[in-house]
Amino acid sequence: MTTLLLSLLILLALYAVYIAALVARREVRPADFLDAGQGIPGWAAMFLLPALAVAGLGVENHLGLVARFGLQASHLALGLVLVSMASVLVWNRMWYATRVAHLATPGEALGQFYGSVALRVVMLALAVLFALPFSANLLSSSAQLLERATEGMLPRAAGVWLLAISLAIPGIIGGWRATIATLAMEAILLALFLPGSTVLAEIFATTPGYPAAPIPVQEGVLWDRLPGVIQYSAGIGKEMPSIGIFTSVALSSSAVGLLGIVFSPATLYLGQTVRPGSSFGLSTVWLTGGLMAGVLILGAPLLATRMAEGPVAFAMQLYAAEPLAGVGFLMMVLVGTLLAVSFFVTGGAILFTRELVVRYLLPTLSERGQRFGARVAIGVAFFLVAFMASFLPLVSAILASVALPLAVQLLPAVLGLAFFRWISRGAVLAGMTLGMLIVFFTEPPGLILFEGLFVDLPWGRWPLTIHSAAWGLAFNLLLVLLSSAATLRAPDSFQRSRLYDAMFQATQVKVGGRGLLWALMLLWSFLTYGPGSILGNTFFSHPIFSPIEASLGVPSLWVWQVLFWMLGVVLVWWLAFKLGFGRTSEDRIKPIELAPATSSRPPDWLAAGLSRVTGRAH
Amino acid sequence: MTPYDRLDRHALVMAIWTPSGFVAATLLHKGLVSGGDWWIFAGFVAIIATFVAHVIANAVLKTGFTTGERALGIVAFAAALLSLLMAVLVGPAELGARIFLPVGLGLISLVVTVVAYLVIAFGARSAFEKFDVIRDNNLRPASRLPHRGGRR
Repeated sequence: MTTLLLSLLILLALYAVYIAALVARREVRPADFLDAGQGIPGWAAMFLLPALAVAGLGVENHLGLVARFGLQASHLALGLVLVSMASVLVWNRMWYATRVAHLATPGEALGQFYGSVALRVVMLALAVLFALPFSANLLSSSAQLLERATEGMLPRAAGVWLLAISLAIPGIIGGWRATIATLAMEAILLALFLPGSTVLAEIFATTPGYPAAPIPVQEGVLWDRLPGVIQYSAGIGKEMPSIGIFTSVALSSSAVGLLGIVFSPATLYLGQTVRPGSSFGLSTVWLTGGLMAGVLILGAPLLATRMAEGPVAFAMQLYAAEPLAGVGFLMMVLVGTLLAVSFFVTGGAILFTRELVVRYLLPTLSERGQRFGARVAIGVAFFLVAFMASFLPLVSAILASVALPLAVQLLPAVLGLAFFRWISRGAVLAGMTLGMLIVFFTEPPGLILFEGLFVDLPWGRWPLTIHSAAWGLAFNLLLVLLSSAATLRAPDSFQRSRLYDAMFQATQVKVGGRGLLWALMLLWSFLTYGPGSILGNTFFSHPIFSPIEASLGVPSLWVWQVLFWMLGVVLVWWLAFKLGFGRTSEDRIKPIELAPATSSRPPDWLAAGLSRVTGRAH
Repeated sequence: MTPYDRLDRHALVMAIWTPSGFVAATLLHKGLVSGGDWWIFAGFVAIIATFVAHVIANAVLKTGFTTGERALGIVAFAAALLSLLMAVLVGPAELGARIFLPVGLGLISLVVTVVAYLVIAFGARSAFEKFDVIRDNNLRPASRLPHRGGRR
């Protein structure tokens, strides 16, 4: 298997270099290296979003959780529908903000909209967090899998560096467009191999699997039902509920945590640099909410049952039946993480170049200089990622745990930019600070730091089985609402209203039927992720309206998940195509120039720090 | 089309064929090695499905197959046909007997798919004219006049 697997990985790397070389040869302007001339083809973004959402879950991680906890963990895949809804709303408005007011990066969009350099710094920090520890953690796990698959022939450290080099070269050669075009192919590969591996596993299997047999979980774990609405547990690391951790609130809050992928700077940047068209709608409705969520809901329990001994053992079984199938399965697991590494590192390095180097350090840099700077940044970023993955895997894993929940804390800021003009700068900053602190102290970095320095905290990770993202977001939103109420007539609202009005005129979003849609969405959320989801435990096997027991042959919860997945797709379709958030057009755009905000100059502490580095006075 | 449009189309076509090609190769390999006709059938279905996806991409992007793609397709088909013939003629008798019918039918189904595409896309007459080199071999300018039968 080793030879075949390595050959395919080499072919994948050569494919990426080929696409990158083509892009580099046909580059019209050097600056296109950084943003593809805001002309990323719609099909590429269309395929990439679902793959990124799956990467947020983690293919190996998700299958492992389903193998350990059964259908209660499989319910997590319904979070992809929520990701679809958030993506179509956020991408649409960010895209229009980019075209209307020339806000080219997420940091620039939020920074200029709110007139806040702090928000730019936050975006930059998040870009670095995703580009370094988050990606290093993924890279390390990929290399570990490669080491096991090659039976130690390719040690983890060597695998890390080889993978990092193979991902870095295409990014350095072709930039943003080449990276996205290559990753789109890998996303299609993931979308084909995930159901393909499931089907092949069932065909080659000699023993009955799920649903004919139960998912083999530990004694006491409720594999075919949700373990209640909430568990009064102190949190992972302190106390583990024996019947499983995926309660209703755990699932809803984990779905919120998954939104971090949408709010990550690189994903927002992807949405900003896409061509106009219907790609947002097609991607979110049919591919993310439809195909990927469906494949995971239907296929993950089947696949997880077969791979109780881990992905490598399962790949070996497939390999014995058909070599290409076994290697294809491993490729799928690897590609599921490597595409996220390539995306976040390249995107993060480009954003770093634009947000810090071009904006503050070298504002007069020519387009060629910018391209060169971005190439250097990509190279350095991949070096650092490989370094962290090789030598600091534990630190990377600990820091990676906060990337998604911290990104979720941008939600109020993005909502303010997109929909609610009354959300003020002060409110966003205050809420974000509080939310991020809460995330920090309900995830490993804060817990380890605090408990190492001071005393043991009474809670662990995700207390009450509520994901840290939801803990942070709840307090974040509360503070934003209270603060915004006090600053409704703040002087900084003028520029926000200008952009908001211009965006509203440019979009073709229909307003009719929104009340019904939101009502249906609340009902759907209540029954899918909320307390109502536990009805699914027995709704189709022991119906509450009849004394007769139904014998479906499959767990009631599985039917519930499939039903609400399909209803969720209808809701996303409504958002995307009935209301029009899935389409973008330049026809009605009237560009405006936002006046420089009062605080557009860097804060003194930042200017002083930069002047020390660059030796120039600001 | 701008250079970027051509590039993006090429990347899309590559993105369609690369993963699907792997899937088709897996199915065909399984069929050829283990002798399952249904695997071979599934492999050709995968190829046809990918071809359809390519046609859809062409329709959405308002383009057609490029010269390179046509050449590559013909060469690949010819290589597959030649391989089948070689396997039957000089390979083990058991192998030839086992794969001739399913692979032969698969190759025929590919031809049928391409012909169906041509007929649907261009109509029967125009599709035939694309191969009608005899009609178009008169280089004199007068041969282009409609009343002389010229339609070039």
